[in-house]
Amino acid sequence: MFKKILIANRGEIAIRIIRACRELGIEAVAVHSEADAGALHVRFADQAVCIGPAPAAQSYLNIPALISAAEVTAADAIHPGYGFLSENPHFAQVVEKCGLAFIGPSSEVMRLWGDKLRAREAAAKYGLPLLPGSDALQDADHAVEEAKRVGFPVMIKARGGGGGRGMRMVREESEVRRAFESATAEASAAFRNPELYLERFLEKPRHVEFQALADSHGQVWTLGERECSLQRRNQKLVEEAPSPAMTDELRSSLGEAIRRALRETGYVGLGTLEFLMDTDGSLYFMEMNTRVQVEHPVTEMVTGVDLVVEQIRAAAGEKIDLPDTRPWRFRGHAIECRIMAEDPETFAPWPGAITEYHPPGGAGVRVDSGVFGGWKVPSAYDSLLAKVIVHAPTREQALARMQRALDEYIIGGIRTNIPLQKQLLADWEVKAGKMTTRTVERILAERRAARE
Amino acid sequence: MDIPLEALKNLIATLEESGVHEFEYEDEKSRLRLSFGAPAAPAYVAPAPALAQGPSGQPAAAVAEQDDASIAYVTSPFVGTFYRSPSPEAEPFTDVGQTVRPGQTLCIVEAMKLMNEIESEFSGTVLEVLVPNGTSVEFGQKLFKIKKS
Repeated sequence: MFKKILIANRGEIAIRIIRACRELGIEAVAVHSEADAGALHVRFADQAVCIGPAPAAQSYLNIPALISAAEVTAADAIHPGYGFLSENPHFAQVVEKCGLAFIGPSSEVMRLWGDKLRAREAAAKYGLPLLPGSDALQDADHAVEEAKRVGFPVMIKARGGGGGRGMRMVREESEVRRAFESATAEASAAFRNPELYLERFLEKPRHVEFQALADSHGQVWTLGERECSLQRRNQKLVEEAPSPAMTDELRSSLGEAIRRALRETGYVGLGTLEFLMDTDGSLYFMEMNTRVQVEHPVTEMVTGVDLVVEQIRAAAGEKIDLPDTRPWRFRGHAIECRIMAEDPETFAPWPGAITEYHPPGGAGVRVDSGVFGGWKVPSAYDSLLAKVIVHAPTREQALARMQRALDEYIIGGIRTNIPLQKQLLADWEVKAGKMTTRTVERILAERRAARE
Repeated sequence: MDIPLEALKNLIATLEESGVHEFEYEDEKSRLRLSFGAPAAPAYVAPAPALAQGPSGQPAAAVAEQDDASIAYVTSPFVGTFYRSPSPEAEPFTDVGQTVRPGQTLCIVEAMKLMNEIESEFSGTVLEVLVPNGTSVEFGQKLFKIKKS
């Protein structure tokens, strides 16, 4: 087992990882930019190293600084968290080359699953359902040809992309060329890889993702799914487990294919396979995230598994000891709301000083957060302040519990999206468990219309 | 002093909360002056206030200023290990009392096996060497205190 882990991240996920380290008896090293000198993760850690000025490129994304910090603190492993360098195969490789353990899959396996086309290929090979789609698009002509073959509407996507960027939806042939050109430009700029492919576009899908865990002894678990359909501009707002749309049958058959795919590709650690579900209930593989996810707590609540602890164990080469239940038996229902520092109406980011802070508590309430009263939320990073997670015996009770918890949450001095979250959870489609990735859009449009 | 301790404590608490930096009171019998360090330092060690505002962004060492405008600090632009000499047997690049010129190498900060020479931005005299030889330094950590000339 590792003696000391350097956490190459900040905010709530850094604290999450420090907590797992504490419980495993591992020393935790926090790194921070100058803007984060007073941050909570710095104060929680056993040691802290300032690695650069505020801009992420010079601090949290600064590979030499991170490696150097690991060297001077004699850390033996680096945990990349989510975002930042967590899915950067070059970083994983540098860490490996420097004789440190990277808490995640190997750089080779990360490269495979991070390349959307190779991932599609692997998924198909192991029996995961795919949307009709193309290989790499050679040029605009090829794009037109493939779009016609696959059938409109199509989504042009970046091979090296993810997180909803570098995508263009095309409804008819006349739009293909322009979309191809602008997507190429965006992909070049954002991912330094102009390569594109395309897939059939689903109008009103649900976003369902599966949590997998694999150790280096050939064992793989699928720990059930999460539904993350409530999104705005491809940013998740609310997540829940289990998905109201899933059945045990689907869990079994998909679980089989997922476990095979991970085992055969030599995957070690936590991985999440994202799917889109069509209106007829068919599931299609989208992409795999080779890291711990923001919304991992909802899976933890309904399965009782500490995912970060198991992730660290897997990276340390330990044989994980979890029961073999297929499909996994859930206990109750969990919902997570992401609390963002932004105006609930305009979505403008709202950095600034938090004057008063009191998180919710009570039965079945968990708060994962990096903020505290007196903390100045910096403008240099994403606006996630906290995650409120509730757990209750049924979905209906979980919704009521979340409303109650959000009502109790006091964050003074800045604006947050708490009012929006309350509105989302009160919506009829959400209460009925019938939401899709278009639901938030509809609710916002209705809100605007009601104002006029 | 005539002011009761409780009253003084309350006064200090009220002033601190209000963000006042200096307070002076004088009458026929006594004079009271309170000066609060700005900003309020937390209980743990944090980088000097001036550093938190603006990094230099240059490869040469960043410099922060204190109350006395002629004092400057040379800070580390990297995370790494601080060495005073080009090699273990060699003489240190500089020492207390020595003069330095802009561009002159003051020390090495080694990061990932690369020896980075840290140069002075100013002319002046070395007042203090703030870090022992061979210790780890973080970004922004003060290395030398220099009296500018």
